[in-house]
Amino acid sequence: MKVLLMGHPNVGKSVFFNRLTGANVTESNYPGTTVDYTKGWMKIKGEDSELVDVPGTFSLDPKDKAEEVAVTMLRESEDAKVISVIDASKIERGLYLALEIIEEGYPVVIALNMWDVAGDKNIQIDIDNLQRILSVPVVPTTAISGEGIKELVSRLKDAKPVEIDTIIENAGGLT
Amino acid sequence: MTLGVEERWDLIDKISKATITFGKYRHTLKDAIGELTVKPMTGIPVAIAILYGFWSVFGSFAGFFTDGFFVRLFDAYWLPWLQEIFPGQGGWLYAIMVDAGGIESGEFVLSSNCLESFGVLTSGLFVAIGIVLPAIVIFYLMLALLEDIGYMPRLAVLIDTMLHKIGLHGYAIVPTILSLGCNVPGVTATRILETKKQRFIMMTLLAIFIPCGAQIGIMQDVVPDLMGWILLYLIIGYFIFGYILNKIVPGKAPEFLIDVPPYRRPMLSNIGKKVWGRIAGFFKVAIPFVLLGCAIVGGLYQLGVIQWLGNVLAPVFVGWFGVPAETAGPLIAAFLRKDLAVAQLSVIDMTPYQMVTAVVLVSIYFPCVATFAMMLKEGWKELLGALATLVVVVFVYGGLIHLIGILLGVA
Repeated sequence: MKVLLMGHPNVGKSVFFNRLTGANVTESNYPGTTVDYTKGWMKIKGEDSELVDVPGTFSLDPKDKAEEVAVTMLRESEDAKVISVIDASKIERGLYLALEIIEEGYPVVIALNMWDVAGDKNIQIDIDNLQRILSVPVVPTTAISGEGIKELVSRLKDAKPVEIDTIIENAGGLT
Repeated sequence: MTLGVEERWDLIDKISKATITFGKYRHTLKDAIGELTVKPMTGIPVAIAILYGFWSVFGSFAGFFTDGFFVRLFDAYWLPWLQEIFPGQGGWLYAIMVDAGGIESGEFVLSSNCLESFGVLTSGLFVAIGIVLPAIVIFYLMLALLEDIGYMPRLAVLIDTMLHKIGLHGYAIVPTILSLGCNVPGVTATRILETKKQRFIMMTLLAIFIPCGAQIGIMQDVVPDLMGWILLYLIIGYFIFGYILNKIVPGKAPEFLIDVPPYRRPMLSNIGKKVWGRIAGFFKVAIPFVLLGCAIVGGLYQLGVIQWLGNVLAPVFVGWFGVPAETAGPLIAAFLRKDLAVAQLSVIDMTPYQMVTAVVLVSIYFPCVATFAMMLKEGWKELLGALATLVVVVFVYGGLIHLIGILLGVA
């Protein structure tokens, strides 16, 4: 199985990658730390799975070379699952990329990362409802301290392609 | 089925209304500090203080270990010991590996320190371990701190206006600062810039005007008093030629939008891993190049190639750049090893202004082989363009520095 870590710049993809593979890619607190992809291996239920740390991108419509690397990586990995990493304190814009990836038919698991920051900012997210509407697994995480990472990996098996119509219906239709 | 942009935002709006509640947000001390360091009135003084602090910690840390420890270790024990036990004194292998020595009143004499011996095992190792290692360790340690706290994007915002003048934007500060450690990751980091034009300008300026940690370390060690002038000339050159490149290179230089992340407490484990990884990476690249470069330069000296080229080109160096004829050899050797060349220059008798000129020339020369290879990976057209710019810059800027010296009456 191949799993891609995708999301906006500076949401913690590399932190997940290092935690999951025991690798050592550079993590920093600024957008654009990762400009090339790194591959590594992790075990999921005894099965070797390939994990790719993809450079951050805002959408699937690349604006710079690092984003280009990200989009090409996604397009070349047709059978991959995607861990869509979202900054829980800026959830709306993170959902944009997540929806784009879901629309392309990839099975997605959403990691609502920086859960602690969202808490500090008094942002409450109804995980169950979000999960129901999106019909994909949604896991709150704080990658830097490791919270939620185990659950995230265990939920990968529940990731299935979702029709965007289903999501629209669950959300109560478009205006 | 895929949605249009409008429809997608509409859907997101629906989803977030159903799932997110925003509580009352309290303005915290962290936010206050965050704002103070990004508003120009308070942010610029803070930035200057931080950069000055960076520089003085760098200088004293590197100086402490290099002068206080490694110079003694290498000059008092390692060099005499090798001079003693290595066979074939005066022969070519001895000269390349240990000590090329010198001729004093017709007699062969051994060098007294590791900067003058120019052997692979003496100067080569001393430069790599004694000078570059402490410089790189402290540089990467402080860089990691700034990165993990989240200061870099704020610096980018502050310097944005200035960098727009040279066709870049604030974010170009990231590749620039990374290059102060090593130009190789600096070149890779240019990918965060949006257009080809910006990447080309950035790469060219990095390769020419940004000295890497190894160079800064050795300059700091052998010509500490002149560092201010040398860096000033490099920074001015960075902006002058950036400005010119911006005018002549076709393409766009768009505005940038940046997320300024909140300040975070750096995690010790991450700092440790990152510093270690970067030092290891640097040494995997640098050590072989330093030692091999040292051997090649030593060999070329033994064959008389550098002396010959030096004699041929000396009139150019003397006439155009205003440096003494003896610098021709080191300036040619600088094509292979900039750090050793600076060390060689430091022992030549010349005026401080000539020294500044010569060291600036070495810095803006040809990039090191590793950087060259990395630029080639990013595109051969860009590489050729950068090299053409380089040749022009060396002559124009070198001549200009000479001219300024003449006008100031110091050259």
